Amino acid sequence: MRQIAIYGKGGIGKSTISSNLSAALHEMGHTVMQVGCDPKRDSTRILAEGKFIPAVLEEHREQLRIGKDEYAINLKNIVFKSPGGIYLVEAGGPEPGIGCAGRGVLTALQILKDLKAFSTYNIDVAIYDVLGDVVCGGFSMPIREGFAEEIYLICSGGFMSIYAANNIARAVQRLAKRGDAGLAGIICNSNGDEAFEHAFIPAFAKRLGTPFVQFVPRSPVIQACELGGRPVVEYAPDSQEAEIFRNLAKAIIENDSRVIPTPINDLAELETMYRQCLVKDKK
Amino acid sequence: MGQEPIKEMAGSSTSSSEACTDPYLRCAFNGAALTALGISHSALLAHSPQGCEYLVNNAFASQECDYMETMTLCTKLCVDEIVHGGEDILARTIREVKDLPISALFVLSACGPEIVGDDIVGVCEALQPEVKFRLVPIESAGFRGSQYDGIDIAMDTILKKLVKDDVEKIPGSVCLVAPHANANPTWPADLAWVKQVLFRMGIKVVATLTHRTPIAEIENIASAETSLLLSHDAGQKAADYLSATFGIEQVCKGIPLPIGMTNTQRWLTALGDRFDILKTAEEIVAEGERMVMATCRRKWPMARFMYRTPAAIVADATVGIPLVRFVTEEMEMTPELVALYTSHRSVWELLEGELKSLGLNPKVVYGTDVYKTRKSLQEVRPRVVFGSTIERHASEGLPVAYVVEVVRMMRQFRMINREYFGYTGILNLLECVQNEWVMGWRSKERRYEAKW
Repeated sequence: MRQIAIYGKGGIGKSTISSNLSAALHEMGHTVMQVGCDPKRDSTRILAEGKFIPAVLEEHREQLRIGKDEYAINLKNIVFKSPGGIYLVEAGGPEPGIGCAGRGVLTALQILKDLKAFSTYNIDVAIYDVLGDVVCGGFSMPIREGFAEEIYLICSGGFMSIYAANNIARAVQRLAKRGDAGLAGIICNSNGDEAFEHAFIPAFAKRLGTPFVQFVPRSPVIQACELGGRPVVEYAPDSQEAEIFRNLAKAIIENDSRVIPTPINDLAELETMYRQCLVKDKK
Repeated sequence: MGQEPIKEMAGSSTSSSEACTDPYLRCAFNGAALTALGISHSALLAHSPQGCEYLVNNAFASQECDYMETMTLCTKLCVDEIVHGGEDILARTIREVKDLPISALFVLSACGPEIVGDDIVGVCEALQPEVKFRLVPIESAGFRGSQYDGIDIAMDTILKKLVKDDVEKIPGSVCLVAPHANANPTWPADLAWVKQVLFRMGIKVVATLTHRTPIAEIENIASAETSLLLSHDAGQKAADYLSATFGIEQVCKGIPLPIGMTNTQRWLTALGDRFDILKTAEEIVAEGERMVMATCRRKWPMARFMYRTPAAIVADATVGIPLVRFVTEEMEMTPELVALYTSHRSVWELLEGELKSLGLNPKVVYGTDVYKTRKSLQEVRPRVVFGSTIERHASEGLPVAYVVEVVRMMRQFRMINREYFGYTGILNLLECVQNEWVMGWRSKERRYEAKW
């Protein structure tokens, strides 16, 4: 089973990319499970026709409330199948303002593992859509505990998304040494400044020592699909955008690169690199 | 001697990877438990994993609580409470004990619940109408600092939560700020000696913070005219709060605690001065000194042959600072190392003053840990160490002939508490030195090591 984790700055489009990637992989014939690892539990909405599915930690909390524990949880209550045939799970999180969401994500993943969710549904590819940034040690646990083996970073041409991607690469560098996890590549989800992104993101990927996998343009088709609560390969199968996600799925399946990244530790160096590219682009 | 002193403030020491920084002190959670368990007819609820409850049990033993009067409870947090928060289990536990015949339930939070954001104050406020006793939440996560910090946190909460301000002042009264920060393993005897002296002087003790203290006494603290702090390590914040909020004047401030002849005489005189009972104070001093000298004359402590022996003192500030004068004047040794667990500015100033007045120039280490102690012992190479069993191990391989275990002795059981304060305290300390000296003669191995 391939275990792919998608990390990136909050709001950069991880859920959009993950859902469309899941759909494209499913179209290729793979049995896919998408696991949303964000307490907001909105990762799988596009695949679930715009609906929120019940989260693992909600079910867990409910069982605790009636004096039971995680062993009382049934897979049927936490794994859902999308109309398109993709298995969907949302880790969820504790109630706002209390508890540890990072530890919660790990607990949810552990419950899936204990209940043998992947073998029960014969999953080929598991995609983990992980909360915006590695805000604390808890969110690096999917990597540390071996759930996320291939890590893809999503970024755009915006500096803060580059900064977040670099930070996540630092976490991967720290954690990859102890297991099989590694950085598998960078995906650009364009914010519109395509010329700059085409110039900078591949250079940034090279600096991290990882492949630049795919460029996803800013497109009204993708936005329309999101609003329609369906993935692009289903909603607009003949579109150029659908082809992009098919290419992304193919590239990921064929990509066996997993590296320990070489992130930029000095923020000034990252800024300089970014500015130099920005100046060249303006010229 | 004769060298420039090497002063090391806490945090300024080496961070070399070879440095083992085993602490002498437990965490803030333990300090808070030590303080809360000093209030009688109460219970303590540790909102913590069950391992942390060990610290409560330890505090229970140190405070000599009576299990017929004081109960300890624990929410026994596990990973589920880390993920979802432990407020539910805390509320459930409080409800389960809502009919306990106690005056207060102290709810102490450990590290885990504070990291995940459990609001113990909110839970206690919400449940207060449902229970018959006072709910006192103390946010005392271990990571907040050492046990001294925990003592200060607990005292601050207890004072702010329980003390009533609509009481009349009682002339000639005192509130004892006696935090359990005393490294004398049988410290309640120190407190008993102080109470006995105050009784003889006619000074009324309004409350003790905290040792077997009824909650009514705590509520009535504002009626005290003065406060008397019995620790150099913790409790100053409480004394300052009492002074600022209720106008309670702190007496004997800046004077080393009454361990040894001079310190005791100075401390009693200051007390006599403040309460205008100098004559009584002088009588106590005269009687005490006569008793010590008569006893020594009859008992013949041979340890006096340690004249001018280089000595080290490794202790908390409460015992350690007064010991400097005791070791110099009573034992006639030469302190060449003073290593204190504490590193407060007030401790620094007090010790500096003592060393200056004694004309001493030893190596001084503040905020010491076992590694720093070992290094300092290697450097100074004293013949005698006043410390604990830890220093007995830390001085292995060094030419330390005697380790006088005066603080935090482990594996030593004592039914009767023995004070270090006052005149009997002097004899108790002399006894410790004498026994260590005798053991040196009785042990073949140690006699050889001591090159007798």
